[in-house]
Amino acid sequence: MPAPSAAISRLFGDLAYFAREGAVTLGEAVAGFALGSAAALAAAALMAHFRLAERALYPIAILIKVTPIVAVAPLFVIWFGFGPAPKALIAALITFFPVLVNGVIGFRSADSGALDFMRSLNASRREIFLKLRLPSAMPFVFAAFRVAVPLSLIGAVVAEWFSGDSGLGSVIIVAHSNLDMPTLFAAILALSAIGIALTAAVSALEKRVLFWHESQAFGEI
Amino acid sequence: MNTPNGGALRRFAAAAVSAALLAALALASAACVIQEDDPRPVTFMAGFKPQANLPFVSAYVAQEKGYFAEQNLDVEIRHAAQGEHLSLLAAEEIEFTTVDANTVLQRRAEPGLPIVAISLFGQRGQQAFLALAESGIRSPKDWEGKTFGYKVAVPPDYLAILEAADVDRSRIEEVRVGFDPRVLTEGNVDVLAAFKSNEPNVIRNLGFETVMFDAADYGVPTLGLTYISRQNLIDLDPDLVRRFLKATMKGAEFAADPDNEEETLDIILKYAENEDREHMRFMLSAELADAQSAGTESKGLGWMTADQWRAFHDSLVKYGALAAPIDVESAFTTRFLEEIYEGAWINWP
Repeated sequence: MPAPSAAISRLFGDLAYFAREGAVTLGEAVAGFALGSAAALAAAALMAHFRLAERALYPIAILIKVTPIVAVAPLFVIWFGFGPAPKALIAALITFFPVLVNGVIGFRSADSGALDFMRSLNASRREIFLKLRLPSAMPFVFAAFRVAVPLSLIGAVVAEWFSGDSGLGSVIIVAHSNLDMPTLFAAILALSAIGIALTAAVSALEKRVLFWHESQAFGEI
Repeated sequence: MNTPNGGALRRFAAAAVSAALLAALALASAACVIQEDDPRPVTFMAGFKPQANLPFVSAYVAQEKGYFAEQNLDVEIRHAAQGEHLSLLAAEEIEFTTVDANTVLQRRAEPGLPIVAISLFGQRGQQAFLALAESGIRSPKDWEGKTFGYKVAVPPDYLAILEAADVDRSRIEEVRVGFDPRVLTEGNVDVLAAFKSNEPNVIRNLGFETVMFDAADYGVPTLGLTYISRQNLIDLDPDLVRRFLKATMKGAEFAADPDNEEETLDIILKYAENEDREHMRFMLSAELADAQSAGTESKGLGWMTADQWRAFHDSLVKYGALAAPIDVESAFTTRFLEEIYEGAWINWP
């Protein structure tokens, strides 16, 4: 084990290198997060509205959740090549489930009185979704985002272990192979910094979007 | 109060304590003698999952045929899942493990692990480069304009072949592909760095024939798997190292005898329960072929020379796998091989 000072000095001694590799991982994680969250929210909206959709999609969601990423990552390399695509897709896969589950609960948590009121006004399904269900779901969705953002980073890093020459995952696997512990831990530190920054960004966005919600009255968690 | 009776009592008590201490000492000495006769516990960690790598097989056979027991060793055989064997050896959690000669030199250079090779199984390197037979690639020159997939880092053997065959490296796309050989059969890469004793047969089982390019065939010095231990164990307990090596090389000798092939495979499959027998046969055969050289014919399996190591070291330095030259002589020792062999045969027991 290297002394913490060795990892820190390795990180700051070659900050440009870790920033460059970190940017690659960040790009893949953000792309995967966006893709996975969009797919999960779309599926959640369907499942919240239609029981049939829930029965059809939920087993698939469970299947995605329980599939070990390390088992499918090599296949993604074969299917999608050595570029950022397989990494973003792995990140999307790992992001999908928490956003889906919270999305379904969120879309169904609309106030029943408000729902009855909008129906009495002959509001369309689209209007009910956009003006009532979606705002009601947002606190749940943001809670899921807080979980999913670090997961997307993990997904990108694990995918980078299997192929490609860039990204912090690649740095970690090569450093591990060379028993270069200062570099390995410096990469982990860089990854942690990215994770903290991403989570902070989600919190800031949540604060802006959910300014009206009571959860924001207590400040950041 | 100091009375004659009191003095006698004290002398008696002192004598009794002395007698008790002497008895305890005698018992402890007896216990030590008994412990000395007990088999020595040793942990050997194979560097990967259970399979027919010759250094693994040698330990399996030594265990199952009782060679370890005959050397009064109680050996626990473990397998590394994620390359942790080298760290565990350095941390003194295990006594012996396997790595390739490349790793011995690299890890001695950085981070300066005090590891020492005590036996060299791979007289040639364990990696080669594969192309599909149907690809039309017949020589390294044909790699130009193609994609080359390597596992973790660009192997020095690859760079050596490029130079030996006058190949323009800038015309090859190089990419890290990990350990799944299907990237070759699926056309993601045209040339793949592969383990000779494993992947050609895996790919054949997928329905593809391959063409293999071995750096050794291009005059490149290559070396394969070794047994290693720690310098301090070698210095402080050479007898343990000698006994371990004697038992395992006896196991290697058994496995190398064609008459013992089926029994050896039976033993391998006791450890590698889920492996295919025919694939293990291929692996064992390939490993045995690479374990033979002129040196091993006269000196026995596992033999190695300073010339082999120096040539290999110089090649690694030349192609950038070692940042700077290191003291090659301290990376290996033939001391134990010399002690256990008589000619090409183990002096057993």
